[in-house]
Amino acid sequence: MDELVIAERQFHSRLLIGTGKFASSALMAAAIEASGTEIVTVALRRVDIENENDDMLSAIDRSRYLLLPNTSGARNAEEAVRLAKLARAATGINWLKLEVTPDPYYLLPDPVETLRAAEVLVKDGFVVLPYINADPILAKRLEDIGTATVMPLASPIGSNQGLKTRAALEIIIEQANVPVVVDAGLGLPSHATEAMEIGADAVLVNTAIATAADPTEMARAFKLAVEAGRTAFRCGPRASSKQAKASSPLTGFLRDD
Amino acid sequence: MSTETNTLTINGKEREFPAGIPRTLAELLEGLNINEATVVAEIDGRIIERQNFAQTHLSAGQSIELVRFVGGG
Repeated sequence: MDELVIAERQFHSRLLIGTGKFASSALMAAAIEASGTEIVTVALRRVDIENENDDMLSAIDRSRYLLLPNTSGARNAEEAVRLAKLARAATGINWLKLEVTPDPYYLLPDPVETLRAAEVLVKDGFVVLPYINADPILAKRLEDIGTATVMPLASPIGSNQGLKTRAALEIIIEQANVPVVVDAGLGLPSHATEAMEIGADAVLVNTAIATAADPTEMARAFKLAVEAGRTAFRCGPRASSKQAKASSPLTGFLRDD
Repeated sequence: MSTETNTLTINGKEREFPAGIPRTLAELLEGLNINEATVVAEIDGRIIERQNFAQTHLSAGQSIELVRFVGGG
C-alpha cells in the first residue's frame, strides 16, 4: 500500500486501532499485532486508588506503535485542553485525538467546543487529530487553523452502523487538504472497505474489533479490508449505472439477426 | 491541631494521613502502592513532570489528581 503521511510522519498502515473494551491486555496486544496498525489510541482516567491494577500501557510496545491519547470524557474545550496537557506529560509526545462529546447518549462531538480547543492546542504545538461529525464546513475550518487531519464519524461511536454519513464524507474527502480518517461506527470490514473506496486516507476502528468473538482474526479482517478498499480506490473505480453494460462482446452471435 | 493539617484531596476524595502527609509526591505514590512510571500527576491544577515527583514537596490541603492511560478509542 502507498504510505499515509500525517504531520510529515509516514505510516505503512492505514488502519488506526482503539484500545478500549478488550477483554484483556493480552487480547488487545494480539489484535494490535494482527491489525498491522502503527497508531493506537488510548484514554486518560483517574487512577483507582482503592483498587490498584497494572497499567495497560505495558502491553503496548511503544517502539512499534505511536500512542495517540484521546480527550474522551471532555465535555467542553477547557476540559479537553486540560486532558491534552496531561496526556502530553504522560507520553512525552504531542499527538492528540481531540474529542469533545458532551452528549452521553449519542456521543456526538460538539463542533463549537472542538474548534475552540483545536485553536488552543494547535497554537500550543500539539499535532491535533479532531474527531468530528461529518460536517464539511467544520472540516475546512479545522484544516484552516492547522489540524493534522480531520476524523469525521461514519455513524455514532460503537454503533456498528457503518457509513451513515457517506454523502457528507464524500464532500469532506473531495475538499480536504489534510488526511481524512473515518472514525467511529465502522462495524464490519466491509464498512472500512467502503470508506477507503470513496477515498478516505485511513480509518479508526475499536469496538468492532475489541468486542468480536475473536478480536485477533477480526483485526486481520479489517487489515485486509482497508488494503482492499485503498487498492480499489487507487485503481479508479467506475460509476454505477441503472442500465446493464455487457461485459461480453455483443457481436458475432451464432445467429443471423 | 486540626485534621486539615493531615489531609490531601486525592482524585476528588479527602484522605487523612494521621501520621502526617507524605513529604513528596514520590512518597505518596509509594505509600499508595502506585507505580510512578505509569502515572501523571496534577497538584492544584498544575502538571508535575514525572522526573520531578521526588522533588515535589506536598503541603496539607492540596488537591492531587493522579491519572493514567486506559484502553480507549
